[in-house]
Amino acid sequence: MSVDDRPGLYVESTIIMTTVRLVAPFVLTFALFIMFHGADSPGGGFQGGVIAGSVIMMLAFAYGIESTRQWVDVRIVSVLASGGVLVFAAIGLGTIALGGQFLEYSLYEPFLSHASKYAIELVELGIGAIVASVATGLFFLLSAGFGHVTEEEETQ
Amino acid sequence: MSLTLLEGSLLVFVLGCALGAALLKDTLASVMAFAAYSLGISIIWLILQAPDVGLTEAAVGAGIMTILFLIALANTVTPEVDSLLESVNLRTALLVGVFVVVMGATVPALPTIGDPNSAVAGGEVTQYYIDNAYKQTDVKNAVTAVLAAYRGFDTLGEAVVVFAAGVAALSVLRREVFA
Repeated sequence: MSVDDRPGLYVESTIIMTTVRLVAPFVLTFALFIMFHGADSPGGGFQGGVIAGSVIMMLAFAYGIESTRQWVDVRIVSVLASGGVLVFAAIGLGTIALGGQFLEYSLYEPFLSHASKYAIELVELGIGAIVASVATGLFFLLSAGFGHVTEEEETQ
Repeated sequence: MSLTLLEGSLLVFVLGCALGAALLKDTLASVMAFAAYSLGISIIWLILQAPDVGLTEAAVGAGIMTILFLIALANTVTPEVDSLLESVNLRTALLVGVFVVVMGATVPALPTIGDPNSAVAGGEVTQYYIDNAYKQTDVKNAVTAVLAAYRGFDTLGEAVVVFAAGVAALSVLRREVFA
């Protein structure tokens, strides 16, 4: 049984839906700003990722958890979570491959000017991807609850 | 140590919320008090000149944690609440009181905010970061420089912990996809 099936938990409201539809793109932009701008101002991957994840929760609040769950592609969530870890690890291991130490950003300098800065931004983006997708995933998992049966499992 | 009106009222607010979160019997009210506590603490972080931590506290503590708690509450059976406050065991209260006194006794030993002679501000490592962070890492926020460059390996560990938490939730709830 899903959350939306129970009476009283989800109320369809035109005001909330319109507000969320208008605000969501700005919140997502703000999340990306926090991630990118973490290098020069307060913020970073962890904070920006949480804000990006909260966009999905906002949509679920307005349109219902079940319909948001169907709208969000589960593959994207998984790819973001594991992709973030891989990007971070790859940047770190790349410098070892170039003969330096783990995460010695300055070794990328021959390929790209300000390499250190861009590598740090990329690391922040990777962290943001992990945090955003895991926050979204935990939200959907907890709302589904224990023993939530997916359709594929039912057919087995 | 003198408090401004803002700091004083924030401290009272945060302590009140913490007591509310601990003592209120209704779980929903307790979660709300906890969210308000996180919001108050995040403003205190701002006053203590730690905007990075404040941003995290506001986003994670007051935002995501509250939503996850509420979702968990919606999925569990809430028992009928007969009284407003939790009944307090006298021995527990005594133990907690002693603990608070012991922790409170360390507060006067802390350096004042912005003290240039404090161990943290005057330390060799801090000075190295302040002197070299911009030159070596090309980023203007020294906190990010420490997080992503000097302590990058730790941050990788933290990111993997978040990832592992997601995987653990998947396996505990016997699911294969994040949705």
